[in-house]
Amino acid sequence: MARFLLKRLGLAIITLWLLATIVFAIVNVLPGNVGRQVLGPFASQQSVDAYNHELGTDRPLINQYSKSLTNLATFDFGNSYSTKEDVAPKITKALFRSAKLAGLALILTVPIGIAAGAYAARRKDKLADRTIVMTGLATSSMPEFVTATILVALFCSSRDSYFRAFADPPDGTSFFGQFKYLFMPGLAMAIVYFGYIARITRAGVINALEADYSRTAIMKGLTSGRVMRRHVLRNALGPTISVVGVQIGYLFGGILGVEKVFNYHGLGTEILNAIGNQDLPILSAAVLTVGIVYMLATLAADVLIAWLNPRVLLETKR
Amino acid sequence: MSLDPEPVPTVVDPVTPNVNVVAGERKQARRENFRLLIKRPGFVIGALVSLFWVVCAIFGDAITPYDPLNFRTTKHLKPFGKYIFGTDQSGRDIVSRVMAGARDVLIVAPPAAIFGVLAGTMLGLIMGYFGGWVDSVLSRVVDAFLALPVLLIALLALVTLGKSRVVVIIVVSILFAPVVSRTIRAAVLAERDLDYVTSARLRGEGSIFIMFREILPNVSGPIVVELTVRIGYAVFTIATLSFLGVGPPPPSPDWGAQVSDGYGVLSAGIWWPTIFPALAIATLVIAVNLMADAVQSVLEG
Repeated sequence: MARFLLKRLGLAIITLWLLATIVFAIVNVLPGNVGRQVLGPFASQQSVDAYNHELGTDRPLINQYSKSLTNLATFDFGNSYSTKEDVAPKITKALFRSAKLAGLALILTVPIGIAAGAYAARRKDKLADRTIVMTGLATSSMPEFVTATILVALFCSSRDSYFRAFADPPDGTSFFGQFKYLFMPGLAMAIVYFGYIARITRAGVINALEADYSRTAIMKGLTSGRVMRRHVLRNALGPTISVVGVQIGYLFGGILGVEKVFNYHGLGTEILNAIGNQDLPILSAAVLTVGIVYMLATLAADVLIAWLNPRVLLETKR
Repeated sequence: MSLDPEPVPTVVDPVTPNVNVVAGERKQARRENFRLLIKRPGFVIGALVSLFWVVCAIFGDAITPYDPLNFRTTKHLKPFGKYIFGTDQSGRDIVSRVMAGARDVLIVAPPAAIFGVLAGTMLGLIMGYFGGWVDSVLSRVVDAFLALPVLLIALLALVTLGKSRVVVIIVVSILFAPVVSRTIRAAVLAERDLDYVTSARLRGEGSIFIMFREILPNVSGPIVVELTVRIGYAVFTIATLSFLGVGPPPPSPDWGAQVSDGYGVLSAGIWWPTIFPALAIATLVIAVNLMADAVQSVLEG
């Protein structure tokens, strides 16, 4: 296990380095003189130069690159070009908001997906199974912003509809009061993601139902509910867990479209605004944050699977 | 030491496969697969819907009821009247714009998928065939790439490199290649120790020949599956990118851009400028995925 953990952590660090390098490379291709852009066309050349020097943008690229890596290691992302605020707290706030939305989406997605998949497996090749598989295939191929716009049109488009098209709850809204704001964007993502989970669960359950231990359990006279809980699901959910881990990453990637449709101020909106304002510190910090979440989610899933199913550990030894 | 090789035996070499027989069998298998495919309702429906959008993309404003770009009438006219899908915020006919918008997606998504699969196949062949340190190093790089959020990296790259179609195709195909390479690598690993590869090696064939003439035809199944699946993902990714603002500039009738232009008035009850292009995206991705699903179950049993 220790060996596996080390190997997996090493890979995570390589990925992080790759991500930081790509972001640095892309962001530094952006044309233009940062100092001139921030200070405006009427600032004196002297103050522009001084500002550039202060930011370090006049130093050689290699120095800027190594500085960007140390900044990442210390979670210091500098100040925003457009508002001069410190970037780190702003990104933390946005991350928290996005996590709230992604968390709700996950709470909706996972039980629906597992229930639909297990139900379909027990009705294998019957109408209910076909319907669930086809629905999952159709909805999981749609982009999140498409399901989001359809939900807004259906449920949020009149003055007296319960759900809101603007997902940002006003400050001080109670925990349960936030529900009518966050439910629809969460659902928009759940519709896209439940299909994968249902599909994987269905395959796992079908396998486990055909296994000898399930037959034995049925012969022993256990009720079908007990067989499902004690024998089938326990063995069938390994692949499901790995998919959920990957989903958390996708949720954060796909959240951009949903946040835009619902005008929600999370990481996605932060990224889109930063692109509009050419605010490089915010842009790189937000993209790196999404990348780190993405990476941690897959890492957690891999470790969890290895722990549940030690056969995985043998694979890495070879 | 003589440079002359061993005398070549005049009898038919038993190790060299009879090319004609193999090619004939392959042709027959392909015909059989096609017959299985068109028996599946999912494939037929997917193919018909995709064909409709391809026709729209090819003929564009030649078959739309009105000019998708320059025709102007009253703005936000309701649908199902004189203008079937209504008019948008500039008074343009939405049905014409939705039909013409198929071109913006279909001119970019399939090439991106094709180049991504080509690059991924090359990479997968190299990793699977050579194995050893080549495979170890490339696999680590691929794993690292797989942990990157595709959409975000594409977004960043397009913002900096420009939004031209060529850039979209290149960026999306580079981001797709690692996923494809993993699948192909697994397929190649299953082939490389089989007798036909060993005998080709004993015949003295070079690595390039073995990879492309011996192994490649035998992993064509997974390649075709990857290609159909990737086209679906490419439509998904490219539509999302243009919704996020890095698609073709206005007044292009691109679907994602139309949704982006119209979603602000959704909450005021003006749904038609957004929902029709959104449904167009949905029908195309679902159609492609229905085809991909059928291809996958036919080729992988």
